[in-house]
Amino acid sequence: MSEKSSFVYVTYIRTTPQKLWDALIKPEFTRQFWFGAWQECDWKIGSSWRLMIPDGRVADAGEVLEIDPPRRLVLSWRNEFTDMREEGFSRMTYLLEPASEMVKLTVMHEIDRPKARFIEAVSGGWPIILASLKSLLETGQSLESTRRWPEGK
Amino acid sequence: MSDKPSFVYVIYIAATAEQVFEALTSADMSERYWVGNRLQSDWKVGSPFALQLKREGNRVTGTVLEVDPPRRLAYTFHSQHDGLDSEGPSRVTFEIESHKDQVRLTITHDEFPPGSKVFEHINRGWPLVLSSLKSFLESGRVLRAPWYEEADAA
Repeated sequence: MSEKSSFVYVTYIRTTPQKLWDALIKPEFTRQFWFGAWQECDWKIGSSWRLMIPDGRVADAGEVLEIDPPRRLVLSWRNEFTDMREEGFSRMTYLLEPASEMVKLTVMHEIDRPKARFIEAVSGGWPIILASLKSLLETGQSLESTRRWPEGK
Repeated sequence: MSDKPSFVYVIYIAATAEQVFEALTSADMSERYWVGNRLQSDWKVGSPFALQLKREGNRVTGTVLEVDPPRRLAYTFHSQHDGLDSEGPSRVTFEIESHKDQVRLTITHDEFPPGSKVFEHINRGWPLVLSSLKSFLESGRVLRAPWYEEADAA
């Protein structure tokens, strides 16, 4: 057994790889489906990456490990605003593969330690974020509950 | 790992629980979002369940285990095609929870026999079928996947 915790999620979205890539990267899109959050990054290998939440806090931070638009992005990713920071850096991969008139999006989030609380936490978050992203790209409307940061969190 | 394999997938849909439950039990709706496959059952506990696959003569059969509209649905799942019939049945459970204007749909597919080949098939199949179900309920349009239809990956 490997001493790893990992989360993998696959979804299919009727869109193009470029539109999906833009939606995953650009603040004007992520704010709509990622609870008002956005990323600060210049999207080059080695660049620092931060996930910002609306009250100005840095939720998570890391750096760009691999980038190949519009196909693949790998980030190092550490939680910054809770004690899950102590678990250190995880690794998050987006893989975008065209599949007829849609794109297969695979999200892999893993950390080199067993039973990580951070991976458990993101396992609860990714399905609703990715569902809302799919709604936004297919219907123009994200899921209502994902348009702002939840109060008290 | 001594644990038996299980597949768990959560998806959020901008729809009502009733709409999701209807889609999970309707032959005509399943034919649209489940790439040509038709659900067949009277949806009473103990009744037969079948998924008639698009490719002629192929089907998945089973028995309805739980029906609690619009919250819960479960059936056994026994693939009869591509030499998979010698494998025993597994179990599919859907749970539907409403949160304001959206639904959280959880599917758990478990109780596979050891060394299950069906488990590999459904790991590839469910994300597509449930993505298509979400598209169908939110936009009226389904996802088309020739590779899935040809492979009969139900």
